[in-house]
Amino acid sequence: MMDWEAQLKLQAFLDRELPEAEACEMAGKLARDPESAALLAELRQTHTLLAGFEEGIRLPESREFFWSKIEREIARSEKVAPAPVSVSWPARFRRFLVPATAMALLAIAGFVATRQNSPSVLPGGGQIETALADPGAFTYHDYSSGTTLVWLSYPAENELADDEEAVTVE
Amino acid sequence: MRHIPFSRTLLLGWAGVFAFLISGEARLQAATLKLQVQLIWGTSDARSPDPKHKPLESDVQAKLRDLPLKWSNYFEVNRKDFEVPASGAGKVPLSEKCELEVKSLGGAKLEVVLFGKGKETLRRTQTLAKGEMLVLGGNAPNATAWLVVLKRIE
Amino acid sequence: MRAAQRGEMAAFEELVARHRDRVYARACSMMRNEEEALDLSQEAWVKGWQRLQQFQGEAGFGTWMTRIVINLCLDQLRRQKRHRAESIEAMDEDSGGVQRQMPVVTVNPTSGLERAELRQRIDDALGKLTTEHRTVLVLHEFEEMEYKEIAKTVGCSIGTVMSRLFYARRKLAALLADLKRQDLR
Repeated sequence: MMDWEAQLKLQAFLDRELPEAEACEMAGKLARDPESAALLAELRQTHTLLAGFEEGIRLPESREFFWSKIEREIARSEKVAPAPVSVSWPARFRRFLVPATAMALLAIAGFVATRQNSPSVLPGGGQIETALADPGAFTYHDYSSGTTLVWLSYPAENELADDEEAVTVE
Repeated sequence: MRHIPFSRTLLLGWAGVFAFLISGEARLQAATLKLQVQLIWGTSDARSPDPKHKPLESDVQAKLRDLPLKWSNYFEVNRKDFEVPASGAGKVPLSEKCELEVKSLGGAKLEVVLFGKGKETLRRTQTLAKGEMLVLGGNAPNATAWLVVLKRIE
Repeated sequence: MRAAQRGEMAAFEELVARHRDRVYARACSMMRNEEEALDLSQEAWVKGWQRLQQFQGEAGFGTWMTRIVINLCLDQLRRQKRHRAESIEAMDEDSGGVQRQMPVVTVNPTSGLERAELRQRIDDALGKLTTEHRTVLVLHEFEEMEYKEIAKTVGCSIGTVMSRLFYARRKLAALLADLKRQDLR
C-alpha cells in the first residue's frame, strides 16, 4: 500500500508541481506499479469531472437590477470628503500632540486590559517549524479556538506514547 | 519668528508613556511562564481500556474535536504543570519514551522540542498566548493516536 | 477596460454584465449559499471599481475579479468559523497521519448521467466537504492556483494544502461512486 507521502507526491505529479527529475521518476514508477496508476486515474477522473462545473451557474438577478445595487453602493462610497484647511506646521504639530498623548494613554490602558487575550501570530508569521526526519508532517491552525495542530506522519510503530500507558488494546 | 510655548503637561504625559513602556518591557522579560502539558490518547472507542486514563476537560475535548482528526474521544494519560523562567527552558517527561522541552524566547514566544525515545522529533517556534493550545500528534497502534497538548495557564 | 479605468460607468457596467456569472459562480462554490454569494459578488464589484486603476492586465479581468471575490469569501468564512459548530460526524475526515485508507474508486460515476444531473451530484458532493477542504479544492480546480499561492491565500503550509486537496478529491470520488452504486441497486 502506498504511504501518505507517496500519495501526495502522486497528486503533485498530476498537478505538475513536482520538479522535473521527480516527475520523471514518478512517470517511471507509474508504468511499473498498478496501484499508483489506479490512484492517478481516480485523481485524474475527479479533476476532469470538476472541469466546467461552474459554467452552468447563473446569477439569479437581472442585469439591470444587479447593476443598480452596485451603482448605488459605488455612489455611496464615493461621497467627497471636505478639503483640509491649510495650517502652519507648528500649529499642526501642537494639534497632533494633544490627541496623540490621549491616544497613547488609552492604548496603554487597552494593552493592559487585553494582553492576556491577544491572539497569537498566525502560522507563517514568525513561526519556524522543523519536523526532523518527517517531511510528511503538516500544520493546521484553527483560528476560532486558537489551536495549532502539528501532525507527524510517522507510522504507528514509531509511537511516542508509553505502550503500557497509552495503548493497552488486546 | 514667533515663540511657541512648550506644554509641561504634554511633556509629563509622554514621559509617563515612556516610563510605562520601559517598565512593561522589563516586566515581560522577568515573567515566568506557567505551562501545562498533557499526554492524550485519541480513539474512536467510547471508553478507554486503561483504568489509569482520565477523562479530558470538556473544553479541551471540544477543541480537539474541532480539529481535522478522525478520533472522537480523547483520554488523559498524563499531565504536568511546570514553569519556564524568562529566557530559560524547562523539560518534562510525559512517559518513558516521550519528553517535552519548552524554551522561553521572550514575551509569548516559545520554542518547543519534542523528544521521542531520546531523539529530537520535532522543534517548533511559535507564540502561545493564554487560552491557546499547541497540539502535537501522531499515530498510535490500532488506529489510535497520541497527542501532546501544551497550554499556558498564566 | 480603458474606458472603465477612465471612470466611465457605462463601460464598467458592460464589464459587470460580461463577468458577473463567473464571479457569482466562484462565490457560490466557496460559500455554498446563494444569498451570501450574491452579497459578496456585489461587494466584489464595488471593490473592483474602487481598485480599477490597479488592474494592469497581467491576468484576465475575469480572473482579477474572481480573486477579489475569493478574498472576500475567505474573510467571511473566517468570521463565520468563530460561530460555526461542526458536528463530530462532519469532522470525520482522513488527513495527515490517519491510518484508514480510502479504496481507489474505479467505477465511472458519470456514465449514464445527463449533464445537469451530474452537475447536481457534484454540487451535492461538494456540499459534503468541510469548508477547509472545499476551499482548497475550489482554489486549485476552479481558480487554478498553484499550491504555493493557495498556501499564501489561505494562510497555511504547502503540506496542509496538499493534504486537504488530496482528501477533498478522494472524498469527492468516494461520494460520487456511492451515488452511482445507489443508482445501480
